Amino acid sequence: MTQQTPVRPLGGAEGGALIDEDWEAMRFRVHRSAYRDPGVFRDEIAKIWGHTWLYLGHETEIPNAGDFKTRTLGGRPLIFCRDSAGEVKVFLNACTHRGTILCRHNEGNTKFFQCFYHAWAFSNSGDLAALPGDESYPDDPGFRESMRLRQVPRLQIHEGFVFIAFTPDVPDLLTHLGPAAHYMSLTAKIGQHGMQTLPGVQLYSVKGNWKLAVENAMDGYHFAPTHNTFVGYLRETGFAVTDDDQYAYDLGGGHGLLVLTGHNGRIGMVWEPRFGDEEKARTVAKRNEMAARLGPELAAEIADASRILFVFPNLLLFDLEALTIRQLEPVAPDRTDVRAWQFVETGEPESVRALRIKTMVSFVGPGGLATPDDIEAYEAVQRGIVATADSADPAHDWSDMSRGMANEKQGNQGRSIDEGAMRSFWRHWADRVGVATAVAGDPPADPGAPGPSTVFAAGSTATAGSAAPTTSGKE
Amino acid sequence: MSPTTSGAVLNVGTREVTRAQVEDFLYREAQLLDEWRLDEWFTMFEPDGRMEVPTTDWAGWDATTAGFFVCDDYDLIRARVKRLKSRKAHAENPHSRTHRMVSNVILLEAGAETVWISANFLIHRYRDGGAYTYVGRYEHVLKVDDDGLRFRVRRSIPVMESMDPGARLSFIL
Repeated sequence: MTQQTPVRPLGGAEGGALIDEDWEAMRFRVHRSAYRDPGVFRDEIAKIWGHTWLYLGHETEIPNAGDFKTRTLGGRPLIFCRDSAGEVKVFLNACTHRGTILCRHNEGNTKFFQCFYHAWAFSNSGDLAALPGDESYPDDPGFRESMRLRQVPRLQIHEGFVFIAFTPDVPDLLTHLGPAAHYMSLTAKIGQHGMQTLPGVQLYSVKGNWKLAVENAMDGYHFAPTHNTFVGYLRETGFAVTDDDQYAYDLGGGHGLLVLTGHNGRIGMVWEPRFGDEEKARTVAKRNEMAARLGPELAAEIADASRILFVFPNLLLFDLEALTIRQLEPVAPDRTDVRAWQFVETGEPESVRALRIKTMVSFVGPGGLATPDDIEAYEAVQRGIVATADSADPAHDWSDMSRGMANEKQGNQGRSIDEGAMRSFWRHWADRVGVATAVAGDPPADPGAPGPSTVFAAGSTATAGSAAPTTSGKE
Repeated sequence: MSPTTSGAVLNVGTREVTRAQVEDFLYREAQLLDEWRLDEWFTMFEPDGRMEVPTTDWAGWDATTAGFFVCDDYDLIRARVKRLKSRKAHAENPHSRTHRMVSNVILLEAGAETVWISANFLIHRYRDGGAYTYVGRYEHVLKVDDDGLRFRVRRSIPVMESMDPGARLSFIL
């Protein structure tokens, strides 16, 4: 991996702060070393990826006993599997003997994982099942027990979304997710017979820092100029895109939410001409079905608005025309691996499934009509931010994210076309990494509501009794 | 496989399709794409033609059962061409330089009015000081007419394990 970034002491403001927030000048800046410095990257892997909940995958990726996928998170190779008893297990993908990668396939179904090096074999629930030449080892049941596959210290599942942590000292998953749990639940309720991921995973890498991918998703300001050609395409199909009356929310804990009403229709929920006449009739039926099953209020909350949810630090849920789950894996300061799954209604008719896949991939993914321009943008940032490194004037080596601060100061709800959701991400990031934030002036008394409304829906999360905020309508 | 003797000729209805004809078709396409003559390229599709790029974990799924990188119907191909001709297609402004090699052309099977063919491709792409290589195979369904061949299904199947850094598919694979 070539690393163009100069290795040098951090610049930053007085005292080494990488975030500079000034509520009198209405200025919010991020020091550009945050995107390029290997030391910052190492701290992120250790302090964020090593110490918080990470999105690993969805339960429906491994529906049957014995199914497995291998995947790397925070640089650690993992086996994500369902054991013979049907329980979801996540193991470090390394033989306990000498550390060899145990499973070298991307996916499959097995009762045993066998290391090719010395032929140690482990059951899919982690027991050491075969130890060739075991007469040469101590005659001690404790020895076999000590050689069980290493499980990740924490694993919890919310609505089928599987999260893990590499340290035991993390809060309960629902505490970590906070109000974000509710928005995950909304997507999980769409299908009458549940939701599932599809095979056909978009695997790709970008030449950019992972935080640029987060910023891009939480940044409605770029939509019109960056996606000019996609907006033009929608207009030609009979749908006028608007940025008006759309909002951004700080969900706390680094999580963020954009609620978008004017960017596109939604399969089965809000019809637009490119979906065709068959889908028009189905949308009416689908809305009725949802209202009967979930109540009109919750059905409307799910259906009426598109949402982009960011769950700190590595999950993006694009609930747009259709649904895409996107996972971020930082590889180097200037490289991020991305995995994206289509998330669909279980048991829906083939014609609807085809429409959903066509529509979604026409926008998202490295071959879509829109995502390549996003990728171009953050790769361009990564190339550009070295220009001001070690600049004669250190004040030049900052990126500005102050759009909408004056509004925020007045207590107005942040717009999706402002940079408030990026600011809340960065504040939480600085907290996690232990980077100083320089704050001048008085921030707004109330840093923002946790969600689009204060209406609480009881029992809206399946795996928890916690109440979560929900929208009562557009604010 | 169709019961032809040489593998170089298939009968489609009353017409004969030769491997040389298919090779000419694929070479011409490669040239049009490398020269960014996208309007001419678009005429190589029949109305209702479609274009697919499966993901790198593809195991034969069609676009009703799996995610894809690209699954364009005719209208979306047209929209893609229009977009790529625009200065506002930022991911391809400036355009990538591409250099395509097509080989291993095989006539697989004849239908009533189509021929199913496969070929290998190797595409070198240069952009922003970066060099990228795409390796894969084509599996196309071509409509056979008096005036030649047209794409009914144009499918590019990547062989790579994933899209490398910078290797996004903003051009035609």
